[in-house]
Amino acid sequence: MTNLEMTGGFRVSPLTRRGGLKGVERRVGMLMLLPALAAFSIVIVYPFAQALGLSLFEYTLQNFEPTFIGFDNFRTIMSSPEVLDSFIVTVIYVGCATAGTVVLGLGWALILNQPFRGRGAIRSLSLLPWVVPSTVSAFIWGWIFNSRYGVLNALLLEMNLIDVPQAWLSTPNGALAAVVLTRIWRSIPLFMAFFLAGLQNLDREQIDAARVDGAGNFAILRDHIIPHLRPVLLVVVVLGVIGGLQDFDTIFALTGGGPVRATSVLSIEVYRRAFEQWDIGMASAIGVLWVATLLPPAYFYLRMLVKGR
Amino acid sequence: MNAIRKLLRATVILGVAISGAAHAADTSFMGYSYAEESAKPSVEKILKGFTEKTKLSVEPIGSAWGDMQKNLFLRARSKTLPDVVQISERWLPTFSNLPGLVDYNEVFGKEYLAKTYAPDALAMGQLDGKQLALPLMSGSIGMVANTGVLKNAGIEKVPATIEEFQTALAAVRDKVPNSVPYAMATKNPNSILLDFMIWNWTFGGHIIDAKGKVVVDSDAGRKALAFMVGLMKDRLSAPEIDRPDARRLMGQNAAAFYIDAPQSRAFLRSFSGQGKDFDKNVQPMGVPVQNAGDEPKSIQWGHMIISFAQSDPANKDDANMQFVAYLADNAVQTQFPVEQSALPGTVDARKAPGIADDAYLSDWAKFNKSPVMNEVGIWPDGAELTQILGEEVQAALLDQKSADDAIASMGKRMAAVMSKAGYSQ
Repeated sequence: MTNLEMTGGFRVSPLTRRGGLKGVERRVGMLMLLPALAAFSIVIVYPFAQALGLSLFEYTLQNFEPTFIGFDNFRTIMSSPEVLDSFIVTVIYVGCATAGTVVLGLGWALILNQPFRGRGAIRSLSLLPWVVPSTVSAFIWGWIFNSRYGVLNALLLEMNLIDVPQAWLSTPNGALAAVVLTRIWRSIPLFMAFFLAGLQNLDREQIDAARVDGAGNFAILRDHIIPHLRPVLLVVVVLGVIGGLQDFDTIFALTGGGPVRATSVLSIEVYRRAFEQWDIGMASAIGVLWVATLLPPAYFYLRMLVKGR
Repeated sequence: MNAIRKLLRATVILGVAISGAAHAADTSFMGYSYAEESAKPSVEKILKGFTEKTKLSVEPIGSAWGDMQKNLFLRARSKTLPDVVQISERWLPTFSNLPGLVDYNEVFGKEYLAKTYAPDALAMGQLDGKQLALPLMSGSIGMVANTGVLKNAGIEKVPATIEEFQTALAAVRDKVPNSVPYAMATKNPNSILLDFMIWNWTFGGHIIDAKGKVVVDSDAGRKALAFMVGLMKDRLSAPEIDRPDARRLMGQNAAAFYIDAPQSRAFLRSFSGQGKDFDKNVQPMGVPVQNAGDEPKSIQWGHMIISFAQSDPANKDDANMQFVAYLADNAVQTQFPVEQSALPGTVDARKAPGIADDAYLSDWAKFNKSPVMNEVGIWPDGAELTQILGEEVQAALLDQKSADDAIASMGKRMAAVMSKAGYSQ
């Protein structure tokens, strides 16, 4: 039965619009969404669609007429040990950085969750690495690891742990460890804030009861705190993986992807192809695969957000 | 609504004003010297001098050296090419197909150019019988010694052979604390290329021949890289050194040798903080040779000027061609190159007092008589080739690969790139 039938052929109000109040709300909502949608389309969708298209072309800055080559760029990537190495380096970098940050961020959150004098000040100061611009962080760590003037070498020499200064950033493992450490240092504050927020809801009585039952610190962490923080842990891990996959500036400023290709993660590889070798087609193809690696964690993150767990 | 209208009106007025300003200049000049703090005042002096002389204005556009090629291609794609551009001599082949590139022979005439410019400098701008670039300043990439450091190490004579060089390096290592005897490039592929290329030539090898065939995988290539690896193993060179690091070490009296362009003197004046007082330590030298009497190797180097036609065909009266002609004027050539510690490109300026009797420049020319064209940077995929070469040399220097394996891998990877670009291997 329509509105008109219900009201005996008369409109409820001359201002009644098609679809009723909900319809109006929907249209206004869509209208309000338009600027954000337009911005998203221009800044994200269009460039990505274009990159997707360009990945199918042989296209360099010098080559004014792109040539369609189908999936040749992807075939080249699959047969290129250098690009495949970049995938491996990316996995190691993201895995180590995320795991390290989770462990240290949780540890730091547990410490800062204890009542002690000056806790507020230390909590605030703990956010400093997160506030410092990433390139500045990279330069700070670059100086720490510098073979000639570095603090690390000076400290180790002073403690007689090494005889001659070490070129940390010139060994593949040293350079990779340096970029991972820098990433961990930058990310700890954010992870810590998540964990700290989660710890605020922890039932103290439950912990006290466990202690009365004879549970030690490790048992409380394993059986009570971690299960309680599980939803936070999931969000933090997914965010850490996404952030790690997107990371470029710290690595570029610290090692430039070297030595040789030891820290050449996917973002560095895309930059090199696009802006040093001007191979836009190949850079787009690697970029598409890079986005593909970002999609699963992003999907899980969004699903968790939507489901609220 | 009124506010929106006002905002729109203001935007339109601003847009018109900006586009008007962009087109207000008679010609435009894009260069990397303008982006360098130390050279910018010299470029501004040139632009001011040109405007005073011709009443024509120039819009300067700065672009970092490392971004110049990319920016120029991007401007070509968006049809916003500047009228006059400063380039490195090795980039000329990659720009030779850009639309509107002027052949100066057609505008100024071959005879005039031959009379005005020094033959070695003019030759750097020639390609396929055309004069596509003119020299702003010229020189070569060779070796520089810090005589102050050598004296501290008890070395009185600048080494001429590889044997003498190694003896001097060992003396510096042992007698000058915290020094890097030879600040060889070990970090950045672009810098590594120059050091490797010079040592490869010194040992009698080549990287890519004139026909585009990769020939680096040779006995000479292996010997050259093994020599460089030996320097690292004996702590005569160090990791994490790029060209700017080398200049700093030299300026701080913590390195005895490094490879650079003649601009070295200007850099060292700045990095030492002593200005011209540091000149007494800066000595150009020939790159050490295998046997006494051999010709020291050096790489062609120069700042060149290319132009894009303002009219069809380009002619002398165009504002950009007048600017190019002004760059050959003695007012420019006796000022800009000298301030940059390099040789002028013109015959007259080279004879001018203050240049002809500059001992540093004379020594530079004496030790680097026959510079050779960069064998890698000139190819269309020069950036990728440089990256490969840098990675393989670095892998050997950092002991991740043997010198032989690195050379074999370098040859294979570079050949694949050249083959893809259409050069038979």
